[in-house]
Amino acid sequence: MQDTIPLTLVPSRESEAVVAPHSYYDEVWQRFRQDRTAVVSLGVLVLIVVCAAAAPLLTSHDPLQGDIAHRLLSIGTAGHILGTDEQGRDMLARLLYGARLSLLAGIVPVFLATIIGTAIGTVSGYAGRVIGAVLMRIMDVCYAFPAILLAIAMVASLGAGVANSILALSIVFIPPIARVAESATRQIVVQEYIEAARVSGASTFLVIVDQLLPNVFSPIFVYASGLVGLSIVAASGLSYLGLGAAPPTPEWGAMLNSLQASIYVQPVVVALPGFFIFVTSVAFNVLSNTLRDALDVKGTTRN
Amino acid sequence: MLAVIGKRLAMAVPSLFGVSIVIFLLLNVLPGDPLAGLLAPDATPADRAALAKQLGLDAPLPVQYVTWLTKLAHGDLGQSFSRQRPVAELVGTAFTNTLVLALAAAALGLTIGMTMGIIAALRTGSPVDQLISILSMMGLSVPSYWLAVLLIIIFSATLRWLPSAGMHGINGGTIDFLKHLIMPAIATSAVTVGMVAKTTRASLIETFGHDFVLTLRAKGLSGWRVLEHVVKNAAPPIMTMAGLQVGYLLGGSVLVETIFSWPGLGQLIFQSIQSRDLRVTQAAVLVIAVTFVLTNLAVDILQTLVNPQLRRAG
Repeated sequence: MQDTIPLTLVPSRESEAVVAPHSYYDEVWQRFRQDRTAVVSLGVLVLIVVCAAAAPLLTSHDPLQGDIAHRLLSIGTAGHILGTDEQGRDMLARLLYGARLSLLAGIVPVFLATIIGTAIGTVSGYAGRVIGAVLMRIMDVCYAFPAILLAIAMVASLGAGVANSILALSIVFIPPIARVAESATRQIVVQEYIEAARVSGASTFLVIVDQLLPNVFSPIFVYASGLVGLSIVAASGLSYLGLGAAPPTPEWGAMLNSLQASIYVQPVVVALPGFFIFVTSVAFNVLSNTLRDALDVKGTTRN
Repeated sequence: MLAVIGKRLAMAVPSLFGVSIVIFLLLNVLPGDPLAGLLAPDATPADRAALAKQLGLDAPLPVQYVTWLTKLAHGDLGQSFSRQRPVAELVGTAFTNTLVLALAAAALGLTIGMTMGIIAALRTGSPVDQLISILSMMGLSVPSYWLAVLLIIIFSATLRWLPSAGMHGINGGTIDFLKHLIMPAIATSAVTVGMVAKTTRASLIETFGHDFVLTLRAKGLSGWRVLEHVVKNAAPPIMTMAGLQVGYLLGGSVLVETIFSWPGLGQLIFQSIQSRDLRVTQAAVLVIAVTFVLTNLAVDILQTLVNPQLRRAG
């Protein structure tokens, strides 16, 4: 990789901001809006979240109560628009209620990991040599494991359940976020305004919270948003293995697992929960990609 | 150059120690009773203490760790609780099966991914480029377990072309073996296709923007010769990504292997978790992590050998 040489003739972002009539986030939104795929993705996600929240209004069926006489009805059956599962429970109701837990178990780990990872990363980047090196070497060890495997091993020893699945995924996501936060911090720390804040007597805490965090926010936010899709797939994967949400609780991964035995009877119905995991994951990934471009953040690709 | 490689090798040592500590702590310190699956339901506290002593679980943790590590260094992974066979044997067989699946998936993923990335980079902005972008986005977003179930629905349940489970090794004949291999290989390679295509496209486009490309064109080199130079310069990030992906694939996929009953490390981990056979889980996770570290090490060294810029960077 080659570093681009900064040319003094090119106006810097700061001077643009002075001239432009809109705020920085207005500009970001303008750029975001131009990507039709991203707008559609945002729409899909809003729709899923609203439907999950309004589940009781959208269906009168109980997601837990089935009718054995009407097992595995196909899609389009009157009264069961998306069919029924292996216990005769309405699929639409289960998918809608299931969205709540699937989204929660996927988004919460990224949220928690972002807070903790940012704290670790900024402190390591700011504290510099010894503390920074020690913290980051500890984080590095986690890179020796494929992330999902580490989560599986952790839930295996903690015991199955949604809370443990969230805990394990949070821990798995902390090191990569800490690494992004640390490298962003190290770039900011050498800037003159940080030096100025220090010289004018601001405490370390104040410098980090007031000067540093607002400036490292974008790269961390973009990176974390890229983890949400992965996290939702992983959380449902854990449930699919029986390590997350347990039956009869509606959750997309657990539903796919319990339906799998009916694969030869009602294949389209069996494919439904996975389809929703897929759509949500794609939507989050598209969104994150566009955000990266709109916020103009470079070098935060997910691995 | 040797110094750079030596430095990289030395860096892998603490990494491996870290791995061993994490795995040891993960399965020994976290809540969850290692004796739960071994004791009879009516066992007395005395039985419990006796068994703990017999397995060395009453010693202080650092002592247990050193004992475990020493045995490990001698290739002694202990005996499986539930299967009554040496852990090393179970893990060894599973590793071979995972290796076969990983190599098939890697071959598939790298070939398709790079081809897609190159085509997209040569036709930037065209409908083909857009289609490839959509496909690679789908590839890296799709849950492997859902893709696996979809493949079974299409090729096993509907078309009845391919078996959904029951790999017996190479003994069943090459054709039979390949029939069992193809669906798990596709399911595990989707992410690789997506990541490699994306990286290849981005790296090629970035390299095409460099001044030397203009110089080569001005000198009158043909399109193919220019591409040759561009590919050479665009290679490092693609190689890093490819290496990372091969590392992931070698880790086996717990989900895909379980769905297709592929007798690899992933399935072994799942089964040993279910039977609470912690020694097997521990050993299998360890093998995967060590393979992962070594694969990354190999890629880094290969990079140093190939890329002259990195040779001096020690």
